[in-house]
Amino acid sequence: MRLLLAKILAVLTGVMIIALAVIFAMAQNS
Amino acid sequence: MRYFIWGLFWIGVYLGLALFPCLILLYGTMPGGYGFWWDFSMALGFAAASMMALMFFLTARFKRAALPFGVDIIYYFHKHISLLFFLFAAAHAVILLSTEPVVWEMLRPSQINRYMAAGIVSFVLLGLIVFSSLWRKQLQIHYDNWRLIHAFLAVAAFILALVHIEGVGYYIATPAKRIVWGTIMGCWLLLLLYVRIIKPVALLSRPYKVRKIIPEKGNAYTLVIVPEQHQGIDFLPGQFVWLSMYHSPLSMKEHPFSISSAPEQKGELHFTIKELGDFTRRIKDTPKGQPVYIDGPYGVFTIDRHSSEHGYVFIAGGIGIAPIRSMLCSLAAREDGRPHILFFAGSTLEKLTFYEELNALKERLDLKTVYLLEHPPWDWQGESGFLDTGILKRHLPSHLQELKYFICGPVPMVQLAEKELHKIGVPLHHLHSELFDFV
Repeated sequence: MRLLLAKILAVLTGVMIIALAVIFAMAQNS
Repeated sequence: MRYFIWGLFWIGVYLGLALFPCLILLYGTMPGGYGFWWDFSMALGFAAASMMALMFFLTARFKRAALPFGVDIIYYFHKHISLLFFLFAAAHAVILLSTEPVVWEMLRPSQINRYMAAGIVSFVLLGLIVFSSLWRKQLQIHYDNWRLIHAFLAVAAFILALVHIEGVGYYIATPAKRIVWGTIMGCWLLLLLYVRIIKPVALLSRPYKVRKIIPEKGNAYTLVIVPEQHQGIDFLPGQFVWLSMYHSPLSMKEHPFSISSAPEQKGELHFTIKELGDFTRRIKDTPKGQPVYIDGPYGVFTIDRHSSEHGYVFIAGGIGIAPIRSMLCSLAAREDGRPHILFFAGSTLEKLTFYEELNALKERLDLKTVYLLEHPPWDWQGESGFLDTGILKRHLPSHLQELKYFICGPVPMVQLAEKELHKIGVPLHHLHSELFDFV
């Protein structure tokens, strides 16, 4: 169960970072 | 609830720090865009760099940050997030190479400059780190050697990544952004200095020495150490420390071990260690007075964080009894009157560490012991085989959903116990375990 917590946290962090990278790229090119 | 809120706070801090460089890039004057994929690739590159810096934060073992999760989960998070940030660094390169022909030109041996070369070498080193960490056992790399290689490659890869970003300098060209970026890099380098130099040097000023070594059943030895001219550490029963012996803390040759004595036993610390590898095989020959350095305590595997009106259930496999012995001794010292149950699995009765002591504890505690033997003698009346719902139901009370469970042992055993307990209706948040098999 605790291993799952570490995986969930890592995936959520990754999703947040990709979302911000997309926002950055869109802002640069708007 | 307090730990949950602190947990959210530290996740927020991590995300804030990981995303900060990207947010800085978004602020104020920005250079013209080169197209979506170019800028997306650059943002991934910056995110990968800040995640790399945060690896040092994750493994710095800041007690406050580790408190809501347990330091073992921080290490597992470090492992998973490393794969993710390696993918980001790879995506940064692959996107550029597949969308910008000019990048291929820049990589020609006659054209390549120092910062592009630094970026490539940094990426290769990251690949080596991931490869050697995921397959350390298959590659038969000794744990101590792996740690040294890991630390050296990580520092080199990180510094080369900074050279790459600084050299390219495209998004950090304005004076204000250069100052902010310079400050971020300075903080990261300070963090590195703290992890590798300042913290180990601080441990040198708080030495311990070996008082005695006690042979135990099951190829285990109890190492008893005492603080030298300081008060020692305050810990909770069940917690663990990183222990350095035979080497200075600066050498990074340290190993995590649970404290097997109770905090109420003032003046000395016990570690019950099974002979499993090179380091643990040396324990029995350790001379009296041998200097020892400890970093800790760490861990959330403790009864003191999980109150229970109805008592506790402990499930141990092999040397996983060590932290559970600490908790049982602590309960006995506190004259606890609640009913507790211990399931203890081992290969034979002769190999169950602390077998006699656990039986003796029953006179001081309302403790029921259930021994599970893998190879029971022909006249064995107790349980045998692996822990399953049948065994659990035979020994647990009807209000089993209300009890708190502490499980320690080999990872497959812990996972099996959690699965079986969940099957019979124990809520997941009542299950507590500690994981030590990091790499």
